[in-house]
Amino acid sequence: MLTLLAKLFHALNSDSSIRQIALAIALGFIVGLSPLFTLHNIVIIFFVLLIRVHLGSFILAVGFFSGLSYLLSPVIVQVGESLLTQPALADFFTALYQLSIFKLAHWHHTYTLGAFVLGVVLSAPIYFISKFMIEKYRVHIMTFFEKFRIVKALKASKFYSLYSSFSGDSSLTKGGL
Amino acid sequence: MARFIRWQGMIAFIVLSALVAVFIYLFAASLVKKAIVSSAESAFGAEVNVAEVQLSYSPLQLSVLGFQVTDKEAPTQNLFSFERATAGIDVWQYLFGKIIIDELEVSKLEFSSIRTQAGKVYLNEQSDGEATEISLAEQTKAMLPEVDMKLPDVKTLLNDSNLLTVNASKQLQDSYKAEQVKLKALQAQLPNKAKLKSYQDKVKSLGKMKVNSLADIEKIKAKFDKIKAEFKADQALVKKAKRQILASKSLLAQQVSELKDAPSKDWQQIEKTYQLESIDTEDFAHILFGEQAREYVQKAQWAYDKVSPFLDNTNGEETTEAAQNHAKGRFISFKEESPLPSVLIKKALFSIQLAEGEVTVSGSELTHQHWIRGKASLMNINSSANGELSLSSNFMQSKSGDFKANGEWLVNDRKLSNTELTKSKALTLSLEKAQLSGKGSFDLINSEVVATNHISLKQASYQGQAKSTITQLLLDTVMSLDSLTIDVGVRGELSKPNFTIASSLNDALTGAFKQQVAGKLNDFKDKVNKGLNEKLANALKLGDSQAAELLDLEALLTDTDKALADLKNSDIVKQQQKKLEDKAKDKLKDKLKNKLGDLFG
Repeated sequence: MLTLLAKLFHALNSDSSIRQIALAIALGFIVGLSPLFTLHNIVIIFFVLLIRVHLGSFILAVGFFSGLSYLLSPVIVQVGESLLTQPALADFFTALYQLSIFKLAHWHHTYTLGAFVLGVVLSAPIYFISKFMIEKYRVHIMTFFEKFRIVKALKASKFYSLYSSFSGDSSLTKGGL
Repeated sequence: MARFIRWQGMIAFIVLSALVAVFIYLFAASLVKKAIVSSAESAFGAEVNVAEVQLSYSPLQLSVLGFQVTDKEAPTQNLFSFERATAGIDVWQYLFGKIIIDELEVSKLEFSSIRTQAGKVYLNEQSDGEATEISLAEQTKAMLPEVDMKLPDVKTLLNDSNLLTVNASKQLQDSYKAEQVKLKALQAQLPNKAKLKSYQDKVKSLGKMKVNSLADIEKIKAKFDKIKAEFKADQALVKKAKRQILASKSLLAQQVSELKDAPSKDWQQIEKTYQLESIDTEDFAHILFGEQAREYVQKAQWAYDKVSPFLDNTNGEETTEAAQNHAKGRFISFKEESPLPSVLIKKALFSIQLAEGEVTVSGSELTHQHWIRGKASLMNINSSANGELSLSSNFMQSKSGDFKANGEWLVNDRKLSNTELTKSKALTLSLEKAQLSGKGSFDLINSEVVATNHISLKQASYQGQAKSTITQLLLDTVMSLDSLTIDVGVRGELSKPNFTIASSLNDALTGAFKQQVAGKLNDFKDKVNKGLNEKLANALKLGDSQAAELLDLEALLTDTDKALADLKNSDIVKQQQKKLEDKAKDKLKDKLKNKLGDLFG
């Protein structure tokens, strides 16, 4: 866990692309909201590994949003329920239901569909909010905190040594592992 | 391109997928075992043991070996256990969110088997149903001694202040007293003989008065009018007393009539209170066989209660369940070519080990959503270990939630031994040995049951003990029977059905038993009625003397009224007037004589 946090802080403080971190958080939001082993999550995890997004941020986002999903579960189920039982969409879902891939993805389950739809719809705002906040963090907060003696003391701690071990300019640190 | 894609990520994905697959392959069986144990423990509230879980993947087949569920009421034994259960699962449908089991086979299913070690109990809920069962059974047994107790002590019964005869006698006596008080008050105001005599004397004295002039007549008339006014006042009192006597007589006549009817009404009430009318041979068939019948129905109800929550779950699956399971969600099905229920066991086979021998239960199309495939679930129970036993039934749940089940059962040449029929203070009766045959059918619509069952026992021998005259007679009659038929009808709500039990025992009992019961009842009836009639006679006897008093008073009133009327109608004034006229005439005659004498003499 410490390693993951260290990676996140390093990513925030380093020259890692802000877009890569924000995209990781947005994708982590979609994955975190749904049950882990769903078809769309596996596809997203495949793309997260394939394209250059920040993996540490993604894993932390998945963890955080999984917890949030537990709290939001009534809303998620309600969204899925209202979509799947909407008379106007009945023909649409009946057509999709004939496809094995639709059933395999469990999109006829109120929780899974609700989580997927909410995830996809809210991932764009989350991407932009994350991007905005990381920019602000780098400009203001990081420089503000570095002035404090306590931060200087922390730099001498074990956590900082871990953090430093990831500060090398490897191919993975620039966008991921 | 390389700026956006990291190809080593694909390798990481493959490695991760392989790791997950290996993990599932290695640990799936233990994970399934843990899931089965924890869910079964939470369902049954006691320790559940699973020896082993085996998974094979092509085709997907799950086997559970050495499954034992501790009986939380008796932790040293199992509620049920089986040696092996194998379920072939349709993987594709499982991935679609449905549990479709092509074949489920459970071997050596046993109930109440002894555990090697006492199991832990997690929940200890008191089952209301069991408590009811005990009380029902005890209640049935308790009916036997009641048969003797139902004939109460005659003396105590006759002293019962609630008897109509007692009440009517008391009421009659009270009325006599009350009416007597009223009449005595009136009697005190009435003119007595002396007063009447004084009236007569006064009238006589008026008649004796010397009348010399019209002024004397006027004087007599005035005095007579004064006395007449007194007569009138007294006559009014007499009339009032007569009316009172009439009212009293009418009230008392009504109460005497009620009193005369009271003994028969009392007897009817006694019969009703002590259920003397309902002592019928049929009651004994209920007592002897009703308990067994109730036990079977209670078993059926237990099974229905266990199954019904699963059936109810499906009722509002598409609307209401969402509100209950917000956090979990649900699968929603849409129209498709060959739809399947969310849970379906296409074929099931259970082999059950019972003390009476092995029983095979086979089922097909077991689900709670029958309307999807339009097929009913079928269940067949067969055993040939001890005679022939078979039960075939089918059940179906409609989309609207209506549950229908029906079935037939048949037993042929089944040997019974040492079967307790009843055990109570007054009678213990058990079947030593017999040959059982029978058949029956049942229909269940929601929780309304209609069942007919015919059972016949042949080559039967009984043993038992009786402690009262009636139960001894019953025992003797039963023991003398070599064969017996019993027809049990069950109808009504499954939780409280009505039983009709007819038995050839009734016919056998009719002669001997009814005669004895009837004799005893007649004797009792005679004694009670005699007591009631005595009470009636005493009350009426007392009433007779008081009625005589009333009649005397009535006669007196009539005499007084007549005397007063005579006095009132007396023509004493006229008599005096006539006297005066006569006197005047005589005077005139004398004067005329004297004048004529002078003239001719």
